[in-house]
Amino acid sequence: MRYVGQPIDRLDGVAKTTGAARFSAEYPYPNLAYAALVHATIARGRITRIDTGTARKTPGVLAVITHGNAPEMKPAPKPNQFDMSTLAAATSVNYLNTDEVYWNGQPVAVVVAETLDVAREAAYLIEVEYAEYPAAVDFAAEEGNARPQKSTMLSEADGRKGDAEAALADAPFALDLRYTTAQVNHNAIEPHSTTAYWDGDHLILHEGSQNVAWVRDHLAIRFDLPKQNVRVISPFVGGAFGGKSFVWPGTVLTALAAKVTGRPVRMMLTREGVFRTVGGRTPSIQRVAIGAQLDGSMTALIHTSVCQVGRTGGWSEQVTSVSRHLYDAANIQVQQNLVGMDLLANTIMRAPGESIGSFALEATVDELAYELGLDPIELRARNEPARNPLDGKAFSHRLLMECFEEGAKEFGWAGRPQEPGSMRDGRWLIGMGVAAAYHPAWRFPANLTVRLSDDGTVLIRCGLHEMGMGSATAVSQIAADALCVPMAAVTVAYGDTALPDTTTAGASSQTASVTASLLAACAKLDRAVFTLARKTPGSPLRGLRRADVTARDGGLYNGSRGESYHDILRRAGRASVEARVGADTRLGEIADQVRSMSKFLLDRRRWVKAACGAQFCEVLVDSDTGETRISRWLGVFDVGRVVNAKTAASQLRGGIVMGIGLALTEETLVDPRNGRIVNASLSEYHVPVHADIPVIDVRYLDDPDPTMPLGVVGIGEVGVTGVAGAVANAVFHATGKRIRDLPITLDKLL
Amino acid sequence: MDFLRPTTWADALAAKAERPEATPIQGGTDVMVEINLDKGRPAALLDLNPVAELRDWSSEDGWLRIGAGVSYTRLIDELGDRLPGLAQASRTVGSPQIRNRGTVAGNLGAASPAGDSHPPLLASDALVEAESVRGSRLIPIGEFYLGVKRNALEPDELIRAVRVPYADGPQYFSKIGTRNAMVIAVCSFAVALHPSRRGVGTGIGSAAPTPRRAPEAEEFLAGELDWDGRTAVPDETARRFGELVARAASPIDDVRGTRDYRVHALAVMARRTLGWAWTEYRGI
Repeated sequence: MRYVGQPIDRLDGVAKTTGAARFSAEYPYPNLAYAALVHATIARGRITRIDTGTARKTPGVLAVITHGNAPEMKPAPKPNQFDMSTLAAATSVNYLNTDEVYWNGQPVAVVVAETLDVAREAAYLIEVEYAEYPAAVDFAAEEGNARPQKSTMLSEADGRKGDAEAALADAPFALDLRYTTAQVNHNAIEPHSTTAYWDGDHLILHEGSQNVAWVRDHLAIRFDLPKQNVRVISPFVGGAFGGKSFVWPGTVLTALAAKVTGRPVRMMLTREGVFRTVGGRTPSIQRVAIGAQLDGSMTALIHTSVCQVGRTGGWSEQVTSVSRHLYDAANIQVQQNLVGMDLLANTIMRAPGESIGSFALEATVDELAYELGLDPIELRARNEPARNPLDGKAFSHRLLMECFEEGAKEFGWAGRPQEPGSMRDGRWLIGMGVAAAYHPAWRFPANLTVRLSDDGTVLIRCGLHEMGMGSATAVSQIAADALCVPMAAVTVAYGDTALPDTTTAGASSQTASVTASLLAACAKLDRAVFTLARKTPGSPLRGLRRADVTARDGGLYNGSRGESYHDILRRAGRASVEARVGADTRLGEIADQVRSMSKFLLDRRRWVKAACGAQFCEVLVDSDTGETRISRWLGVFDVGRVVNAKTAASQLRGGIVMGIGLALTEETLVDPRNGRIVNASLSEYHVPVHADIPVIDVRYLDDPDPTMPLGVVGIGEVGVTGVAGAVANAVFHATGKRIRDLPITLDKLL
Repeated sequence: MDFLRPTTWADALAAKAERPEATPIQGGTDVMVEINLDKGRPAALLDLNPVAELRDWSSEDGWLRIGAGVSYTRLIDELGDRLPGLAQASRTVGSPQIRNRGTVAGNLGAASPAGDSHPPLLASDALVEAESVRGSRLIPIGEFYLGVKRNALEPDELIRAVRVPYADGPQYFSKIGTRNAMVIAVCSFAVALHPSRRGVGTGIGSAAPTPRRAPEAEEFLAGELDWDGRTAVPDETARRFGELVARAASPIDDVRGTRDYRVHALAVMARRTLGWAWTEYRGI
């Protein structure tokens, strides 16, 4: 392969760095109007009065929309596992079609005006009165009300092997620990933005999205339109991390505002608006208990969790999933629980479940190693399973211990004294920590077309999403190799519902999903072109069998006999040849879904597939003030085949940075009295800055997974897993203190 | 909201006399944040950026007169050698972009207890030069901070300049944040040694309703230091100094840190900055 694996610059790099790339709030329209939201200030209740008089009179205001005058919208569909697009409804609230308030921050009015400033000014002038209902908003206080989470086709909420509680009670050595993690929010650099306009009964939407088809399907339902009347355009997304997977109020209300005013309308949420109307990662309370023999072999592993969901919706995280796969314990019990809260629906955020679940598990494993006097990596090696521990399924591919071995060598792990608090440089205590990274590999159906034109160029039409990770670049590399054409000949059209529905850019699945379809389409195209050449009079390929012919240099050849694609198509009098994967009829679509779902389930019965890795962290902790600095980082990953060495490393590195935020600084603070987020800004919600991040060394083994297309395993999320565990373990090694509550802030270390 | 844009200092004073409720704005690094977060809407903004006089600094009789429009970046580059404490604090303000815009006078105008420049100003006995159409006056820094985000300026007054004496001894600043940069202080501390008068200056940030000094700690340390012999500070003296500094604070629990943490950290910073300052004084 000429391109796959190479560190190729992202194709949209120049467009992005020069500002030529257009994001959803940057599409110019004549007569554009601007919208701003008014947020509820109570957690639960009813609106008893809205005074919009002053706002309406503000010069430049076009409309003030409230539940009193909003056009009727259809309710959101009930989530249904068989139609994934129903998941798109982030909440079940029919915004501005109800006087009920379900969370503190819910939009209760929209102002549309000639300018953004007027819209925001007028929104500020609206006064709302409420009748308040009792509300459950304090997560810590609601723990007792948690109920077992339901399993879904995609994710099991519980599991057991043997009798873990009994084994724990009988174990020669046992730990039984409680962990808590804070709510955090995605904080993509691009706040959620929508530009919407109506052309008759057609709705056109520019929207930063991780799933344009879901946005289209959802809006078609809400506005009672045929699907084909809605077009969602989203070629560039300024970061998402799960926060742009579903449809949040701003999107629906921008379309509504455009309908009411008859003008194109843009709504760009403020950072505060994002905090108030787009969910984040649930807080969690977790129990991890491990029973072990004195040699370290685990006899019992129990991992349970309590997370929150909003009463109007919320993603159920697979917090304990890592404990199904990582250690060969004789008895295992995992159980996830949920508590309903009168808060904004939480949502998926990079490695939902695994990021916080791996913290609790990996911190406990580390603690066990210290208690037993074993090296933490040695303890892991002694519990490395040959088959999936919970159910004995085969791993499709697993080089976890190889990651630890390479990492230990590169990081200088062996030279570290195991004794906590034993390394010091002046006032700085030094500690080294390690943790496993683990994230399941997913694959979903993806439709696309590949067209070869008689000028030798290739056009891939595919509704994939580009949130900064380099998807289109990777797809170009794969296609160029598959068809043996130069990369410069390949164009990818993406991020638009006018293209074939591809798949969600989530669950680290997009590249693998698209690759499968892309390879199939390229193979079809190759056959079609060869057949065409073979049949065309005068073709040098006439009479040959496909097996005699090799694709190379933008053409088909048998030795020196053969010709370029350009010549093949010209000779046949064809402007282009196209191959398609995925049906273009509704019936075909359903058949495709059934087919891919059965393949998916069959695959799941056969194999456990995942990306994994080893995270190595060195911290400095100020012995007097508890200030913690990450001084070195190494992540070694088994992520199957890497398509682009540069963007893959960047994505893994980005995951680690996000994990460092989760570990040390990020915390969404919810007022336990009224459910209001109190630090809804980047000045008080602290993401890591450059000065917090050392050089991050990222390596991968580049060993293809035999069960995945091209051997590709998703890399979007595995980087964030294990990070908080490695930090907490390093902090312990530095200070002798176990902090089991994220984030690890200064005051917890004194 | 009105936006007033005088081009001379005289016009600025006249505008402020006419519209005392106008909020002065220079770099906008505080005022704009407050507006963006909807923490109030001033009736008018008084933009001082066009006023050229404010962008100068001058030096006379051992004092620096720093115009209200001198950015942190310029202060660090041009005055850092003469005002090491203030320069250290200035380096911890925001990001390079913020330091290019923000000013010490803006910090004084906002009078946030967490403002980074307050502790070194307190430690070095700065004066705030306030002016109105009625005239000009110098407000000792210790009398300038009245309460949370309240200062001693009259409604018609503007800050013309800050006057800071040349450092006559070592000055150090220390700040603790929840991350490494671009962060509001959990707490901060500045110390200045004044060997010429055998005095010690201190300033505490983000650990009381206003920035404040620790007079008892200053007096104690001034009496204990071996100014002539320059012998090492006994551990017990440093510890006591730290205790007295911590005792001068009255912090609260908030989103950035707990009361107990602040008390502890102040004592640490006091000992630490004293150690640095005394080492410099001893010339080792």
